[in-house]
Amino acid sequence: DAFSENLPTKALQELDRPKLQLLALSSVGIGLTYFLVWRRKAKKSIPLGDGWWGHGQQTLRDDNKIYPFKVETSEDEINDLHRRIDQMRYTEPLEDCGFQYGFNSNYLQKVVSYWRNQFDWKKQVAKLNEYPHFKTNIEGLDVHFVHVRAPHRPGQKVLPLMLVHGWPGSFFEFYKILPLLTDTKDDLAFEVICPSIPGYGFSEAPHKQGFCSLDAARIFLKLMERLGFNKFYLQGGDWGSLITTNMAQMKPQCVSGLHLNMLAVTKGGVGMLLSLIIGPYLPFLVGFTREDVRRLFPYFEKNVYDLLMESGYMHIQGTKPDTAGCGLNDSPVGLAAYILEKFSTWTDRKNRDLEDGDLEKKYSLDDLLTNVMIYWTTRSIIPSMRFYKENFKTNPQNRVDARTGIFVPMGHAAFPNELMHCPLPWARWRFKDIRSYSYMPRGGHFAAFEEPRLLAEDFVKFVRKVEGKKR
Amino acid sequence: MLLEVLLALVLGAVVLLVLRRSKAAVLKTEDGWWGAGSPPAGAEDESIRPFRVETSREEIEDLQRRIDQTRPVPSLEDSQFNYGFNSTYLQKVAAYWRNEFNWSKQVDKLNQYPHFKTKIEGIDVHYVHVKPKNLPEGRTAVPLIMVHGWPGSFYEFYGILPLLTEPANADDVAFEVICPSIPGYGFSEAPRKKGAWTRLGVPQARAAGVAIANMRLCSGRPGFNSVCAARVFLKLMRRLGFGRFYAQGGDWGWQITTNMAQLDPTAVKGLHINFAPVENVGPLVILSILLGRRFPGLFGFTELDVKRLYPRVEKMLVEPLKETGYFHIQATKPDTAGRGLNDSPVGLAAYILEKFSTWTDHEFRNLEDGGLERKFSLEDLLTNVMIYWTTGSITSSMRFYKENFAKGFYPPHARIPVTVPTGVAAFPNELMHTPKLWAKQKNHKLKTYTTMARGGHFAAMEEPGLMAQDIQKFIKVVEGKK
Repeated sequence: DAFSENLPTKALQELDRPKLQLLALSSVGIGLTYFLVWRRKAKKSIPLGDGWWGHGQQTLRDDNKIYPFKVETSEDEINDLHRRIDQMRYTEPLEDCGFQYGFNSNYLQKVVSYWRNQFDWKKQVAKLNEYPHFKTNIEGLDVHFVHVRAPHRPGQKVLPLMLVHGWPGSFFEFYKILPLLTDTKDDLAFEVICPSIPGYGFSEAPHKQGFCSLDAARIFLKLMERLGFNKFYLQGGDWGSLITTNMAQMKPQCVSGLHLNMLAVTKGGVGMLLSLIIGPYLPFLVGFTREDVRRLFPYFEKNVYDLLMESGYMHIQGTKPDTAGCGLNDSPVGLAAYILEKFSTWTDRKNRDLEDGDLEKKYSLDDLLTNVMIYWTTRSIIPSMRFYKENFKTNPQNRVDARTGIFVPMGHAAFPNELMHCPLPWARWRFKDIRSYSYMPRGGHFAAFEEPRLLAEDFVKFVRKVEGKKR
Repeated sequence: MLLEVLLALVLGAVVLLVLRRSKAAVLKTEDGWWGAGSPPAGAEDESIRPFRVETSREEIEDLQRRIDQTRPVPSLEDSQFNYGFNSTYLQKVAAYWRNEFNWSKQVDKLNQYPHFKTKIEGIDVHYVHVKPKNLPEGRTAVPLIMVHGWPGSFYEFYGILPLLTEPANADDVAFEVICPSIPGYGFSEAPRKKGAWTRLGVPQARAAGVAIANMRLCSGRPGFNSVCAARVFLKLMRRLGFGRFYAQGGDWGWQITTNMAQLDPTAVKGLHINFAPVENVGPLVILSILLGRRFPGLFGFTELDVKRLYPRVEKMLVEPLKETGYFHIQATKPDTAGRGLNDSPVGLAAYILEKFSTWTDHEFRNLEDGGLERKFSLEDLLTNVMIYWTTGSITSSMRFYKENFAKGFYPPHARIPVTVPTGVAAFPNELMHTPKLWAKQKNHKLKTYTTMARGGHFAAMEEPGLMAQDIQKFIKVVEGKK
């Protein structure tokens, strides 16, 4: 009616000039304040910190040079390996136990026989050297990485990308996906950096206590900076997922996009509990899809019981890494059993019931043993295990990165046989800008190694979405 | 009116208590066969064969060669034993083992007591049988079975054996002692059969009457667990002609001797244990945890009890988590965990000796040398390691963990109390501390509970004198009562 229509105008008309100016100014002021506060809140990041991990006291300044590196081997190294394999003391497995008690001893003998008689380490070293390797000293440690440039093609946009591995993997897991990302025929290609986490493979191990994922993230950020990259993409699974997430939290302005194939649910709380109770019956109410329900439930069995069955390694490595790795550093067969058990079980949990763990269904023994050799020849099994203890020292739920959100564009490829499934509504608690969430048709924990094509396709799809929105 | 209500309540409580007690069933078990393939037709060979520990030059040279091939990895600066066995100290132990340790001499030491083997349920069971040499006229030796644990062996008892078989005190009891090796440990053959479990869904579990509280819903035949070991050892004692005997144990030895008392209460005259973790956490235990710090007197808590149990989160959650990694991996993937240790003697030594350090005193984690030689000699420690090394039994010893926790932490025997006279020796540095009140929940005939002056998990090896004293005290109480 006439009264309400005219109220604002009438009110304004009643104000004299100074009051009108005050109103205008304060509106702008409030608007500006709100905008700034909102922007600062949106760009929340975690502190960078600093560290030094070399021997003794830090004396010299960081040597910033980048040195080319070649993987090498020798007759001595190979003979020593053979001698140790020959010295294996076999223990008979229980009858009909498959992989339920760990790596089956009978099948292990077959793997070991291949390793001793057919595996050609010199050939594998040449394969490793097909891509250029480098080392550079950061925070007192020699950090190793592989740097693969895209061949120059006219009209092609090349984006920088860092791929970070996990445990018990290595940069070698990415060798199948590298050509799919760097050597493409279409308008988009990537220049890829694959570093080794300090303590793993050819990266020097920290000499001081306390080296956790935050430190690895900071070192990798320094690496990208040293290589001249201001903005880049990140991809990772396992520890790589946590490290790349930390990188995006430390310097969100540098990260164009974050693609992960594994998501660990940290802060659950009431929301998670509610969705677990209601989810199986009314999934849509809590934002679950039918696929989510299929992967998550029965919850207790899949996520609690199964996780307990599979996390013994994590428990011992997170408390007594030096003890756990000691025997593995003298016994290549022990090391292979320890590492390859994961490649069997984490690819598909059903493999536990099989005599051979179905290990060679998705992987070749050559590839699997090359990964094991990286741990063997560099003696890095103990430092690689220490990473678990360093990350669990403080309650992971209370660490600064667990309490901070992630605001860079994120994409998740949810593989069906991954160790744990994280539905989209749960991922949204921490990742504030999810651009792509895909249910992958097949594959497990070692996604890049097992299904490189699927992972590459999803990653590129994610990048296109991010790049598309930019324009 | 009030009086009637009160009376009803009291009556109700009495009825409940009586009902609870009468539910104290006897533990049931079935026979088993653990050898390769199927059991042969006909009776089992029950002969008892003398056994001698032997070694050879090849065995020693192979060991030395492997020690020489160790690839050490330096420990982090200032980490002592907090990340596990310290690398620098491990090199010292390895050097001693390589150059000074005399295995032939230790084998002779092992053979000073008579060893035997006998086949039970398809596997060769090894044991040491020690009789008193100078028994006065008219006295008989009291039979006693002593069971070791992990990562120990029958050798842990070599220090206490003379104190029990030839006691210095005239009115102390003289024992005839049997020290067996748990099947899968040392010179006892390892079981070949695993547990056969079928997974059940919740409705099937309900129909089968399987408690949902169990973490694993399954039915089937168990693998070689503590109840099976108990049954085998009962058969052993029977075969040796002991109708009634005493039992002593710590670590797995506690579990096995407890099961023996549950399976056949008439055979076990008395049970002496130095390890008594609570399996069945009832309301009284919970109440004492909640209020025990404020009102220790209410629950009979001593100063040591309060010191060992509080602060709650640190002592009952964080500390156990820090020390149970080995337990977790052995209870899930024993074949993987033991694989490397069977090829690398130094790796095996680090894995085993870390426990002899940390479980003797948690504070030893902060020492560069883990305080290992404060309570034990390297010679004794490495002899124990050699028993695992020369028999290649580390993997089968680990499987015992998996077989025992297949049904979760709440197997049937955890709910059944012990009704034979029991004595508890509570050592101050034991892994898990059990106040008298808690011990009473399980052991309904607790005759003695002694807070020992000093000592940790490997009590018999570390403090044989104190342990022998407490066993004598316990026996006198039980025999005196007769």
